[in-house]
Amino acid sequence: MEAHLDSFSYDDEIVRKFLFATLLWGVVGMLVGLIIALQLANPAFNLGQYLSFGRLRPLHTNAVIFAFAGNAVFTGIYYSTQRLLKARMFSDALSRFHFWGWQAIIVAAALTLPLGYTQAKEYAELEWPIDIAIAVVWVVFAINFFGTIAKRRERHLYVAIWFYIASIITVAVLHIFNNLSVPAGPLKSYSIYAGVQDAFMQWWYGHNAVAFFLTTPFLGLMYYFMPKAAERPVFSYKLSILHFWTLVFLYIWAGPHHLHYTALPDWASTLGMLFSVMLVAPSWGGMINGLLTLRGAWNKVVEEPVLKFFVLAVTAYGMSTFEGPMLSIKSVNSLAHYTDWIIAHVHTGALGWNGFMTAGMIYWLAPRLFQTNLYSKKLAEWHFWVATLGILLYVTSIYSAGITQGLMWRAFDETGRLQFPDFIETTMRLMPMYWVRVAGGTLYLAGQIVFVYNILMTWKTRPSAYEVPVVQAAPLGKYVPKQAAPVAGGAWARFTGLLWHRTWERLPLTFSVLVAVAVIVASLFEILPTFLIKSNVPTIASVKPYTPLELAGRDLYIREGCFNCHSQMIRPFRHETERYGEYSKPGESVYDHPFLWGSRRIGPDLAREGGKYPALWHVRHMQDPRSITAKSIMPPYAHLLTQDLDFGTIQKRVDVMAMLGVPYGDAINRAEGMAHTQADAIAAEIEKAGGPSGLKNKEITALVAYLERLGTDIKAGAAGTPVAQAPVAPAAPATPAEKPVTTPRGGN
Amino acid sequence: MKSLADVVGASGLSGYAIVALVLFVFAFLLILIPLVAPSRDAEFEADGRLPLDDLTPITGRTPSAQPTARPQPHA
Repeated sequence: MEAHLDSFSYDDEIVRKFLFATLLWGVVGMLVGLIIALQLANPAFNLGQYLSFGRLRPLHTNAVIFAFAGNAVFTGIYYSTQRLLKARMFSDALSRFHFWGWQAIIVAAALTLPLGYTQAKEYAELEWPIDIAIAVVWVVFAINFFGTIAKRRERHLYVAIWFYIASIITVAVLHIFNNLSVPAGPLKSYSIYAGVQDAFMQWWYGHNAVAFFLTTPFLGLMYYFMPKAAERPVFSYKLSILHFWTLVFLYIWAGPHHLHYTALPDWASTLGMLFSVMLVAPSWGGMINGLLTLRGAWNKVVEEPVLKFFVLAVTAYGMSTFEGPMLSIKSVNSLAHYTDWIIAHVHTGALGWNGFMTAGMIYWLAPRLFQTNLYSKKLAEWHFWVATLGILLYVTSIYSAGITQGLMWRAFDETGRLQFPDFIETTMRLMPMYWVRVAGGTLYLAGQIVFVYNILMTWKTRPSAYEVPVVQAAPLGKYVPKQAAPVAGGAWARFTGLLWHRTWERLPLTFSVLVAVAVIVASLFEILPTFLIKSNVPTIASVKPYTPLELAGRDLYIREGCFNCHSQMIRPFRHETERYGEYSKPGESVYDHPFLWGSRRIGPDLAREGGKYPALWHVRHMQDPRSITAKSIMPPYAHLLTQDLDFGTIQKRVDVMAMLGVPYGDAINRAEGMAHTQADAIAAEIEKAGGPSGLKNKEITALVAYLERLGTDIKAGAAGTPVAQAPVAPAAPATPAEKPVTTPRGGN
Repeated sequence: MKSLADVVGASGLSGYAIVALVLFVFAFLLILIPLVAPSRDAEFEADGRLPLDDLTPITGRTPSAQPTARPQPHA
């Protein structure tokens, strides 16, 4: 009897939509990247408060990660999933909702980030309403994806689908838990975590965003599109499965290597390093598997730009996944952390791995999706070589900059003093390298523009109506294992008989649950002790909450993106304590929602900034940094001297902080009045010192109050001796010792 | 009454990192052992060819369930 066959077609319209979005946002994201590269080479490129480095840098990272790479991933997933499962997407309407919802989120990010609405968490800057929208759109995507798996006509889930499943599940978990916050306004919120715990959550998220947004989905694309382009199966399917499970098991632990030598507990940092080093094995296994897929087809690489892009992408994956584990080793990290080395590492991955995988995939897809020939193979070749040269210029200059920075910061002269005590000396040394980066970025962007032109010209030659091939396949019946008979020989024989493994590989729900368990259990193993063991975050009796005005100043520091250039975390190295002061303690940031330790030092660390300079110095410095430090590359913040501080929002913000457990005492009732009192005192001090008058209602007073407070609490205590006498998040009512805010520290 | 934080804090988990590592490696090996079984070689070979045919299902079919003819594209 002839089996019943379903007739269906694939939805390529949604693939075309995501493809165009990838091209558009790629140019936008890279253009913003070029602008911020110029701003570092010459601060004159900071064009006003909305287009300064601190606001554009998160726009660049969000645009290239979530807009460019995100749309590229969706392009590949929608194309390959349907074909690997022999099924049209579960719902065309959900596909369209996913597409338009994602683009709306990108537009919202492009508007809010330059306006200064940010959570101050790297790659998770977007504020709470956009975070909710991301969660909704992601869930819709997941429903559509898993619904397609449910109605598939191919029994086996190819390994690319496994990578997609892991990405979808893990990104959801990461996004939700890292973004838990309490709103303090329509576009303002405070993280529910503080200090060490917030740092831990952020870098658990941050590292795994790289892993599960920029790595695993692209690996899925590699395992589908490389065999397609090479017209031969992947070198070793076994190795691809090994690659998958090893990454899923190891990646989630690696986040703490971003916090070596900070106030993070040492055990967590060591654990992160250990798992990071192990990651090199599966990563290189995957790289080798990808490259060996081209066995017998290397002659095609010479002729086919698609394969050229794939080869360089996989090689870049190998390079950056060798470098990542190396950077996670504490001694290497002590040199590289806070420097441009990390930026070079990231760009090897982003420009090489993500950028070139995307280009190769789209060059392969375009003729098939537009049912015509590629407009120009020559232009594709040109794109490849120009962009490759761009990457080389970028990474070699920035590796040099990073190592130069790291070595200069730690250099001592023969008398035992810092050889380069002025931070600006180390900055100036980098300027030639920053200009080479601009050249590299320009070349890469030029290649991208050629790429877009080539694809658009290809699209122009499309037929008047696309052909829609009809596929026929039988629906899947209930799975009956071949080996239904009991296996003789006991439990070990049954285990090695592998029927169990084969069975759950075919069950997407079971498979997905196992992936989720691996990810969640690993996360809990690492995160819970930091939350539950008090000795990991010893409190310090002299550390008090910020006054209402200081809190407002901290919010301005966040709005302007100061954390993109200044760390607030002094590591326990002599060259750091000589330069900045006493090393940072975990107990110092227990009231910091969010933590602002930073990850880079384009400017000096500010953890002990308080008390170093008078208020007027800060005013002059903000107004025109180069009037204080001639060669400074800091943007001017003159608008802080003219814009009124919104005193009306302070009470609400203090209330939210109190809700999060910050012992605010009297400020809960009269935060605004207290802020005015302190602002008046600071403004009077500035005027008395010969500065401008009339600043008492201006934003600058709040920022000065915050900067003057930084790192001073510990000096008021017993010379930094941790005193574990209060819980991390004390409950109201506050004790008398917890009421410093009743007397604002005016006139610093 | 002692809080959960008190209990965990007093438990002295000095070897915590090692315990976590061992447990995880064990679970990982449990999943991966089947990969090295030679009995699955043919199966993996077939699975690895999945991306090469966008139109015809490869796994999970009985011979009678295969399409009788290649599908024809239409406008």
